[in-house]
Amino acid sequence: MMEAQNWQLSNPILGLAVVGATFLLFYIVGFISNRKSASAKDLYIGGGNVGAFTNGLAMASTYMSLATFLGITALILKLQVPFIMLWIQLILAIPLITIIYGTSLRRMGAFSPTHFIRDRYGVTASIIAALFMILVSVMYALGQMIGIAITFETLLGIPYLTGLFVFGLLIVGYITIGGMAGATNNAAIQMVIIALMFIIPLGAIMKAIGASGWYFPPLFYADMVPAMLESLPTFFDYQFSPKWYFSIIPALTIGALGLPHLAMRVYTASSLKSARSAMVWFAFILGLVFSATYAMGFVGVFATTTEGLVISEGDADKLTIILNLVYNPEWVTALVIAGAISAGLSTLSGNLLAIGALISQDIIATLKPNIPQRLSLRIGFIAIFAGGLVSILLAIEPPAFLVVSILWAFGLAGVTNAPLIIVGVWWKEANKFGAIAASVVGGAVYIIVSPFVFPSIVLTGHGVTDGMGLSGAMLAVPISFILLIVVSYITNRMPSLQRRLTKQSDIELIERIHGWRDIKTYRYNSTLGAGVTVVVSAVVAIWALMPWGM
Amino acid sequence: MKAYKKEVQFTIWMTAAFILVGNVGLIFSVFPVDAMLFGFPVMYIVPILMGWFGVFILTIVAGKIGNRIDDEIDSENDALGVSSEVKDV
Repeated sequence: MMEAQNWQLSNPILGLAVVGATFLLFYIVGFISNRKSASAKDLYIGGGNVGAFTNGLAMASTYMSLATFLGITALILKLQVPFIMLWIQLILAIPLITIIYGTSLRRMGAFSPTHFIRDRYGVTASIIAALFMILVSVMYALGQMIGIAITFETLLGIPYLTGLFVFGLLIVGYITIGGMAGATNNAAIQMVIIALMFIIPLGAIMKAIGASGWYFPPLFYADMVPAMLESLPTFFDYQFSPKWYFSIIPALTIGALGLPHLAMRVYTASSLKSARSAMVWFAFILGLVFSATYAMGFVGVFATTTEGLVISEGDADKLTIILNLVYNPEWVTALVIAGAISAGLSTLSGNLLAIGALISQDIIATLKPNIPQRLSLRIGFIAIFAGGLVSILLAIEPPAFLVVSILWAFGLAGVTNAPLIIVGVWWKEANKFGAIAASVVGGAVYIIVSPFVFPSIVLTGHGVTDGMGLSGAMLAVPISFILLIVVSYITNRMPSLQRRLTKQSDIELIERIHGWRDIKTYRYNSTLGAGVTVVVSAVVAIWALMPWGM
Repeated sequence: MKAYKKEVQFTIWMTAAFILVGNVGLIFSVFPVDAMLFGFPVMYIVPILMGWFGVFILTIVAGKIGNRIDDEIDSENDALGVSSEVKDV
């Protein structure tokens, strides 16, 4: 039992039955929830009336991708504690989105972050931003699609392409039918499934290994620490320099602020108060499952170093499933697989809804603003479906990276969108020239220094660090902030460009989305604040260019 | 003026607090600690606890203050005597 082997359910029918039952549930919920979708507003933000608890759960499950079950534990196996430290701060996404710009954009009534960019910076900047957002969302959706097909292939023995097309289309179908209302209710249900199917089986695994804290797996595994330290004394080592830990902030903390499918969850809230309560639920449930994930990674490393469990390099992604196959009865593993699929589904539905909103609202409706409501809604459904189809087709020849590509996409969102939204909400001087320069140049720098385009032009040469976009974002995110502020400041003072700027409507928009009914010149107009941001950004960018010593 | 200042200061300080609480690993990478807590190395368990309960507590605080600042902005608006038709939905 303890040798390298082909990890698969011996009874795939069992797995299929459980997964089939969950799919049926999601279809029914999607259908019931979305019967009343009459407008694009209903389709994309669920009519803007989702309650705090449902929304908090939905936020958490939209965020928690298939990586929770498949990728993270593998990277804990590989990188150990540094990866856990990297993952912890991902919980900041929704709280920071909410306090920095989410409530403002909710007040504005935006469908997507790009919707704000259009009103704030005009059509050109918003289309550039929307194209980058679509790229980010497609990369994200692709990762989920591939992961789901691989799960079916390796665990249930369904050929990759069959699984991809059959389940891909089933998934895209239910998201299209359900719209945001369906996706939100389903995501809340999926969050419960994810939490139960991850944590309870983990408790059973810990009990089988002999851990006394099996009744609360997320935190009670201290009695395994001495054995771990004995067989793998380096497990808890930080390994990397403070610079590596710092680079997580621009890459992933700021990166998450640019992810459209997360921000859209804030806009579905029924009120600003409800959005703020949702972030409390989000933090609680996400912290619970994240902590359980670290425990699962810990148990995996523990089992391989002290219990003689052998997991080949190629099977590292399947750690969670393998632990269940080894220590739990098969029907439990079938439930865990359903949990993993739920995790992939909730993220995928968020991605596809974002793609749909970006294509139909931020590109088509921007170029052709006078489309009737019925046609706009129909285009919305088609765009969601098309986005799903594209991710299925792209997944036929999948790129080799799963989790890494998703984290790299965080950085791209952080470079091309987050600065535009953050500075745009808080500084009246930001204008379209600055926004376009920041998005285009910042995005180009980030792509050039990634290992995927010019493998020789990288900042650290440490594969995972460059591949996750940590080093690239530490350079490109500050460049993007600097360009946005400096270019805006200069162009605002060039008389020849005044005709092409929309200062008055920008000012009115900013006052309005912060809740003011009058206009005051002193508000959101701090040159000092902008200057400090430029100086801090410059220091970070220069630091990123200095040797990493890795 | 008062509500505006509060809003800006709240956002800056709250953002800083969230980033700090979510990145305790960064602090330990600069100032390593060789001690145990609840049976785990401090440098392992404290970032995890802060990244869960610390962030959770901050969201409660941020929600309460955010709601209060909204109310103050509203009352400054009302003091202006502007009609309330553009009140947020």
